[in-house]
Amino acid sequence: MRAKTTLKILDNLESYLCQILLVFFVCLLFLQIVLRIVFSAIDQLSHYISFLEHYPLPASIPWGEELSRFAFVWFVFLGATYAARLAAHNRVTFQFKLFPKIVGDISTLLSDLVWIVFNCVIVYYSINVIKEGFEFPEYSPTLDWIMAYIFMIFPIAFSLMTIRIIQVNIMKHILKIEIADVDKVDTGNLDDEGSESEVTS
Amino acid sequence: MSVTAIIFLTFVGLLIVGAPITLSLGAAAMGGMIFSGKPLEGLVEIAYTSVNSFPIMALPAFILSGALMESAGISRRLVAVAEAMAGPFTGGMAASTILSCLFFGAISGSGPATTAAVGMLMIPAMVRHGYNKGYAGAVTSSSGGLGVVIPPSIPMVIYGVAASQSIADLFIAGFIPGIMLAVGLMAMNYLRSRQKKYEGDGKELSVRSVMTTMKEGFWALLTPVIILGGIYTGFFTPTEAAIVSIFYTLFVGIFIYKEIELKGAMKALESTTWITGRVLIIMFTALAFGQLLTINKIPDLIAAGLLNLTDNLYMIWALIIFFLLFMGMFMETLATIMLVTPVLLPVMISLGVDPIHFGVVLVCCCEIGFATPPLGENMFIASGVARATLEDISLNALPFVFVSVLVVFLIAYFPGLTLWLPEFLNSIFG
Repeated sequence: MRAKTTLKILDNLESYLCQILLVFFVCLLFLQIVLRIVFSAIDQLSHYISFLEHYPLPASIPWGEELSRFAFVWFVFLGATYAARLAAHNRVTFQFKLFPKIVGDISTLLSDLVWIVFNCVIVYYSINVIKEGFEFPEYSPTLDWIMAYIFMIFPIAFSLMTIRIIQVNIMKHILKIEIADVDKVDTGNLDDEGSESEVTS
Repeated sequence: MSVTAIIFLTFVGLLIVGAPITLSLGAAAMGGMIFSGKPLEGLVEIAYTSVNSFPIMALPAFILSGALMESAGISRRLVAVAEAMAGPFTGGMAASTILSCLFFGAISGSGPATTAAVGMLMIPAMVRHGYNKGYAGAVTSSSGGLGVVIPPSIPMVIYGVAASQSIADLFIAGFIPGIMLAVGLMAMNYLRSRQKKYEGDGKELSVRSVMTTMKEGFWALLTPVIILGGIYTGFFTPTEAAIVSIFYTLFVGIFIYKEIELKGAMKALESTTWITGRVLIIMFTALAFGQLLTINKIPDLIAAGLLNLTDNLYMIWALIIFFLLFMGMFMETLATIMLVTPVLLPVMISLGVDPIHFGVVLVCCCEIGFATPPLGENMFIASGVARATLEDISLNALPFVFVSVLVVFLIAYFPGLTLWLPEFLNSIFG
């Protein structure tokens, strides 16, 4: 049983990390807004209550915006990896309807190979950028973090994405598992239960 | 072979073999960079700068709040208000659908999300009232696009970032065009319903029933007031407004309507992750692609080509609108915006067009793209809900597409329609 749970966690790893990051930066930004309003109210009051004047307040958490942006960058690229696991990246596929199914399958497989090569190139060059970043460190303005740490998301995300692309192709072609179309909308309120739902912009 | 040829051939070639749009753009940019001897480390820098931006964070926040509104019971109450207002007239159920999309557009920034939220409630209701399934689907998929024209709007966030324009101004500018589109759709619905003998819903139009639904939907109706009021008065940035609307929705869902479930909230979180991921990684590759085009002076070439053809601004607008409608048929909306903006915006600016005006026309064209085959996201959803074939819906959607295109031309030819409201509000609050 334990092996099964571990497998499930591994299968959804990016999704879990992403959700944590999302909740984190959404809450952080909300806290920022609340503090901004509270602080400016206190600032207004300090014109009337003299002892408040001795404690000048910042506009909000000074490093809040930067931290939330960093969390967001990690969130985006991990989310893209999870989207690769769900085979959710938009492709133009209507032209395949003109040919037998095999044509579409082979040509998507080929395009996935190009994708893997693309990802490997990005991983290689991002590692270069990171190495350079540690040699000549650049610091973030308010948190004073070495930027190379933030850039670590690129080798991580693009290698994970490569693994996911391979996983999806193995599931599709070798294990013959039907991969649900995530863009199909759940039509639960009509006669049958639809598949996965959700919609983009 | 020139760099330009390499970029375009790789891009189109990969699209045709079914590669993800992200990859087609990214690989084309990579190929172009290798060919012109640029260091590929630049690509990594672009990956970082493309999403390291505070305004773009409005995108996941709006997606999340939209997903939460569904399970918080907000969408259902908005639809009830629309039904009480428009139901009794000829073609009333379909008119309610359009009005619902208008209301829902003011709290959601997404076309397909609007179609899904309204369609799930209204399409079955329309079919029960004797509407043809294809017609019900067509009305919903055509008016679902109002979600992106009526502020807030995710495509406008993307355009604002890509074009470095004020997102708040874009939001204000979309208001009148959105209403105009809704009026156009309503008028067409009235004509078609009279032809098809679709009557009202049998209830009488009464101030009392409208007031009752409005009272029940009070907290739902307050949502757009908070989001848009906050942005227009300058109290919130668009990103902050989106964050606030998440917490407002949670508050209403937990404490007032008491409908939200943990399962629904978790599902909203999960879907926000991959939707944001797949859209914003396109931001990265599209930015790389766009920069390469700019370096190679493609926008200048296109501008010269256009001016060679005609120097009449009206003709140029017409060409551009048809081009955008064509793109919108095949490409994903946000990808279209990211791709087209760096190329066409400089051209239009040089012709004296206001960037806000161009953005609104661009978003309106994308709005129509949602409801045109072969890649009309709203249609897929509507056909799923209505159990009607895509062909049936497309055919029924034609009159609606026609009237929408007409409105887009009006919006393009009369810049005042878009630019008046932001100027007016800026003169009050600015």
